[in-house]
Amino acid sequence: MDVLLSVEGLEKSFKDKKVLHNISFDVRKGEIMAILGPNGAGKSTTIRNIMGIMYPDEGKITFHGYNEIPRNKIGYLPEERGLYKNVKVIDILLYLADLKDYPQKKAKERALTYLKKFDLEGKEHVKMEELSKGMAQKVQFISSILHEPELLILDEPFSGLDPLSQELLKEEIRNLARNGAAILLSSHQMNVVEEMCDRLFMIQQGQKVIYGTLDDVKMKYANFKCTIRGKNDLEKIEQIPDVQRIESKEDSTVLYLHKDITPAKWLKKLPDDMVINELVMDRISLHEIFIDVATNKNLLLANEQMGEGDEHA
Amino acid sequence: MRNTMKVAKWEVKRNLKNKSFVIGLFLTPILMVVFGFLGNLMGGDTSDNETAKIYVHDELNTFANLEATVEQYKLPFELERTNIQEADVEKKLKNAENTAYFFIDNRAFNEGTLPFYTSEDFPESISSQVQIFTEAVKLVQMQNLGLTEDQLAAVSTPITIQALSVDELGENSEKEQAMDQEQLMQRIVPGVFAGVILLSIIFTGMMIFQSASQEKKDKIAEIILSSVTPGELMQGKIVGYFVLGLVQVLVFFAFGIPFILWAMNDLPLFEYLFVPELLLFLLIAVLGYLLFAAIFVGIGATMSDISTAGNFQGLVIMIPFVSFFFIGPVASDPTSILAQVLSYVPFTSPVILLFRLVMLDQWSWVEISVSLAILIMSVWLFMKLAGKIFKVGILLYGKNATPGEIWKWMRA
Repeated sequence: MDVLLSVEGLEKSFKDKKVLHNISFDVRKGEIMAILGPNGAGKSTTIRNIMGIMYPDEGKITFHGYNEIPRNKIGYLPEERGLYKNVKVIDILLYLADLKDYPQKKAKERALTYLKKFDLEGKEHVKMEELSKGMAQKVQFISSILHEPELLILDEPFSGLDPLSQELLKEEIRNLARNGAAILLSSHQMNVVEEMCDRLFMIQQGQKVIYGTLDDVKMKYANFKCTIRGKNDLEKIEQIPDVQRIESKEDSTVLYLHKDITPAKWLKKLPDDMVINELVMDRISLHEIFIDVATNKNLLLANEQMGEGDEHA
Repeated sequence: MRNTMKVAKWEVKRNLKNKSFVIGLFLTPILMVVFGFLGNLMGGDTSDNETAKIYVHDELNTFANLEATVEQYKLPFELERTNIQEADVEKKLKNAENTAYFFIDNRAFNEGTLPFYTSEDFPESISSQVQIFTEAVKLVQMQNLGLTEDQLAAVSTPITIQALSVDELGENSEKEQAMDQEQLMQRIVPGVFAGVILLSIIFTGMMIFQSASQEKKDKIAEIILSSVTPGELMQGKIVGYFVLGLVQVLVFFAFGIPFILWAMNDLPLFEYLFVPELLLFLLIAVLGYLLFAAIFVGIGATMSDISTAGNFQGLVIMIPFVSFFFIGPVASDPTSILAQVLSYVPFTSPVILLFRLVMLDQWSWVEISVSLAILIMSVWLFMKLAGKIFKVGILLYGKNATPGEIWKWMRA
């Protein structure tokens, strides 16, 4: 796939505090790339630098290999939502499209089509302040894609939307990617990221933590874990083989397993007299990886390295 | 530049579609005209519109002279001959309005007085104007004395004492005085015109301030800035509100000019208006606007909400109005040191300079040039600073910037 946007060695400081350390990644045509990280990690700053709203202290941002970022080929939905309040929906959509040098007539047609698609038909002459929060957010999403951008940057596009609207939005985003747009999506909802994204870039305190395809990341970090409900002695549990780490809470125990176990074989190794009211076997989710990174525990990563070390030893 | 115009167009369109803006646009001039009209109606009672009827019982054959006097001084009298006897006057006047009976006979020479009977409501201002008739009567007296034409002319020419100060010497002929009057009007009319423009665009310019902080509050700034540069956004706003200010001016004059023409019958308004001075006045007005617009847009970008404006921001908003505190002192002496200094200080110079140029009949071009040069440099400097503040401030959500922060941005 063609690389559309490439970020290399981005550095940025506010006052004396460095908020971005050597951030590098790229976004390719037709893919959905997630940028993840806890609040204040530097996602929005990274995005603002790409948008040319801020300028990096160091590093290079290229678009199709050129240093000049063509603003009219980028669509942007910022995290901070808002549009002019006392203005009609269609007026603001056309104005924003005009700022992107998109022909007005085409913009109007597309605006009406999209309003219909997002259940906002007939709302084009309604003032923004009369719309509900969710409706306003949908209008804002439309404004970011109206001019057929090659690169679409979405900062938390799903927050505040009901499940139905979320599905609509997801479908539209997938559609855009299928049609060749490159999409950079920032979100805190890990299930959405798992569901939609091809690759992800995780950032913590301005530094890269994880970067790769979703499958790679899962293969690398998402070992199996086994959750058992039932009262058992800790001593007994500790004797179970291939367990990296145990988290015990009242009646339930979570066993984090070594990387290359075979689930069926491992299950057979459970002691016969173990109390099992319920047993769930699944992979560590992106959500857990995220929390692990965000809380700075890095237990998964450390354990994994240890596990690898154990194996080699 | 194209983006600047797009932003400007949008600001104009957005406001013209906004009901409260449109109402404000028309309300001020309508109110002014209505009050002006009412004032005129109430005040107009006494003199201008009504003429008094004066019946003259003329035994000295001066009627023609009286009529000539009325004609010459454009007095609000209507003269008519009458043969009524003095005894009947009281009865006649009881039911009359604005009427007087004037008896001209030998009492003028014997007793030195002439009776002038008036109705109850007869305006006092007119009673005093009647004194002018004494000249006509005096003339008859002279003729009766058998003076020659020359003597007559010599005696009947009134002697008045004319006060002349040093600066008026050398230009005291009547014709020159008339020209003086005209020159004054040629400064006042364009001056007022430019003043109205300056004030209108400053007031509209204050909306820039609201627009910038509203954009922050509505969090749309980031979206706009993903399409245009902060500089373009800022310039677009300044141009947009300038146009809105001119729209306000247009509406103002659409109401104001017909009213002025109506209120001051034969004022040749347009002759006075379109003089070369107007260009200078307009230049000052536009420069003043640009300076204040830069201040407003910069400060607006540092605030998330007008209601939470700190003292610092509040003070800055007052800057354009500082000039008005000094109008009094400057009016009493437009050549004073204070007035000169104020026309060099960029914050006060647009208003004060404009005001002084209207007041002064001798312009010091050196002073004007220095003042304009300072103003132009200030506009340039403040635009630069506003650009720097705007760039950072407009993206700073949720809090007002402190003066310290603003200082830091300006130095960046």
